[in-house]
Amino acid sequence: MDYEQKEKMQQPKILSLDDDFSLIKRFIDGDELVFSELLKRHKEKVRNIIYITLSNTDGVDDIAQEVFITVYRHLKSFRFESQFTTWLYRITINKCKDHLRKKHIRSIFLPLKDEEPVFESINEDTDIKHIVRNAIATLPDKLRIPLVLKDLEGFSYQEIGDTMECEIGTVKSRIFRARAALKKILKPLEKELML
Amino acid sequence: MRKNNTDIELLSAYLDGELSPAEKKYIEEKIKSSLELQKELADLKKLKELTSASVDRISESPFFETRLFANLNVESKSKINLKKWIPISSLTIVTLALMAVLKFNPNLLDNIIKEQESNLVGFYKENLQPLLYAANLTNEDIFNFAVYQELPLDNTNNQILKLGYDTKGAEYFEIKKADEVKEPDNLQKFVAALDFDDEEIKQIDSIIGSYSNQISTLVLVNDQNSMAINPNIWNTRKLILADILAFAEKHASSNFNKMIPTQVMQFDDRSVTNWVNEAKAMKDNQYIFCTSDSIFKEDFVFDITEFEKDMEKMTENLAEVSEQKAVLREYRFKVDSSSSRKKRNADWTQQFQVFVDTNLIKVSVQSIAIDIPEIDLPNFDSIAIVIHEATQNVRTVRPPAPPMTVGNKGYNYEYNTVTPRKKGRTDVNLDSLMQIKNKQNNKNRIEQNEKIKSDSQNNNIQFFYSDSLILMQHQELKNEMDKLRRELQRFRQDFKDPKLENKDVIKDSADDVEIIEI
Repeated sequence: MDYEQKEKMQQPKILSLDDDFSLIKRFIDGDELVFSELLKRHKEKVRNIIYITLSNTDGVDDIAQEVFITVYRHLKSFRFESQFTTWLYRITINKCKDHLRKKHIRSIFLPLKDEEPVFESINEDTDIKHIVRNAIATLPDKLRIPLVLKDLEGFSYQEIGDTMECEIGTVKSRIFRARAALKKILKPLEKELML
Repeated sequence: MRKNNTDIELLSAYLDGELSPAEKKYIEEKIKSSLELQKELADLKKLKELTSASVDRISESPFFETRLFANLNVESKSKINLKKWIPISSLTIVTLALMAVLKFNPNLLDNIIKEQESNLVGFYKENLQPLLYAANLTNEDIFNFAVYQELPLDNTNNQILKLGYDTKGAEYFEIKKADEVKEPDNLQKFVAALDFDDEEIKQIDSIIGSYSNQISTLVLVNDQNSMAINPNIWNTRKLILADILAFAEKHASSNFNKMIPTQVMQFDDRSVTNWVNEAKAMKDNQYIFCTSDSIFKEDFVFDITEFEKDMEKMTENLAEVSEQKAVLREYRFKVDSSSSRKKRNADWTQQFQVFVDTNLIKVSVQSIAIDIPEIDLPNFDSIAIVIHEATQNVRTVRPPAPPMTVGNKGYNYEYNTVTPRKKGRTDVNLDSLMQIKNKQNNKNRIEQNEKIKSDSQNNNIQFFYSDSLILMQHQELKNEMDKLRRELQRFRQDFKDPKLENKDVIKDSADDVEIIEI
């Protein structure tokens, strides 16, 4: 589909200069400097998504670098069929999944003591935030990622579905199951957490 | 419970503001009427608050852009391209270099291959020596080669060089394991059958011996397990045979003609001489080399004179190390299954074809052979068997004949054991022996007939005996007649004196009574 038609359809009247599509168009036209603008606009969001998805600060910037290198390489073939952010977050989530998969495989061959601490080092779990973070970290990826995208990044179910390439019903179900599991994990600390 | 779960799932979505108006209305009404759902909603709210507050925003990375652009620059300019093109570019460079080299030296590869080939050929050609010396060929072997077309290569492993005809009538020779064990002393039997005297034996030995040199240069072997065969060996074999037969016909024509039909021998000394000259005129310095891993054709001139000089030296040395045993030879050919087919070569097919198998090398020499008529010899062994059987039959009806002596020694009928006389010639040949035997048989038969006749005359009966079987039958008849005659005599006596017999009977019965009384 002609991206101009798409552009007219979505932003028919007011086409601000800072719009993602217009920046991408300029990039495609050869103005590669606009990429820094795109980067500025989205890098923190991407870094945070990586952070909450990995439950760890380690490697966040490396993965973010990989995400934007991929975006840079493939931006000229962007088809304007979806929001740029949807495409960007999908790349981000996929990179995170790759990282988690590699980490999981690596952990099989590593001794237990070398396991990385979850969300910074925790000596005494008296801090509620730490407790909750640890509880979230124990959830499986397919439940944890929709939950954190919803509760921490404020994604809509539609956005989560687009990013994770699944149906809204699935997202709804997974978020519900994630909350139910989290509630069960935190049940012993019900009083402390005032649940 | 399931319904409850569905409601709670709706509560979760309600909390996130993700319900449709109808679902929203439905769940709100439910919440109003259900304390449980109200509590559940409160818990979910609290949980969502905890989750949302559990993670702080990650701090900004100040050098993120700088690092990213640095990475992008490296990747786009050098790293990506180089990585991608290293294998292709290096391959291209090598190919171009090769093309350039071959452009200016088109024969480079051929030269390398030829050089390697010549190295290999040189290796296999080293120390080639005639088979005659290597395998200790005797005149007997050469005779067998001429007659039976088999030349022993290695007595230990029973490998032979076999000459033959394929189905199309083309001539070939092959190296293989001998199928059967040959009868020994064929030459000796041949000489004995033809009844040569000493002088003729010497001559035939020298004729055969004269070819040994020629054969020796045609089949060469060495310690590298390689063998060089001159395709001319086919002609040589025919020449030897023709020469032997021509000599035999000339010196023992009567015996020879009995052994070999006249029409087989359609050549004379003159034609043999012509063939010899023709064969000698042929180019004979091309050898087929059979090695353990390859077969190739190569020019090779074997200097027999130089070799003989070496042999003289070796013989001197051998005298010193006579204890050393001969090196065992076995010609094994490693052949891929893929190459077990006729190897064709444009040049080769004009002269010969080579067939290779694991234990066999077969070389067809259809076009190189000179046109000598094929001599279809009778099998000397089969003749011996026929005569042996004949003599056996003679022995079964052997009459007590007086021993017949020839010279100082006796003789027997077995062809195989006929030994040549040491001095002078004898008129006795196989046929004459048979004639003598037949005469003796007749004489014996006449004697027997006369004896039987005299017996039968005594009995007033006359028979004509023509066969020993009938004789036996008459003997039985005679015995029967004797019995009958004796019985008749008894009857006559009984008639003459019947009382005597009755008394005896009465006496016997009285004895029986006495026994019963006891």
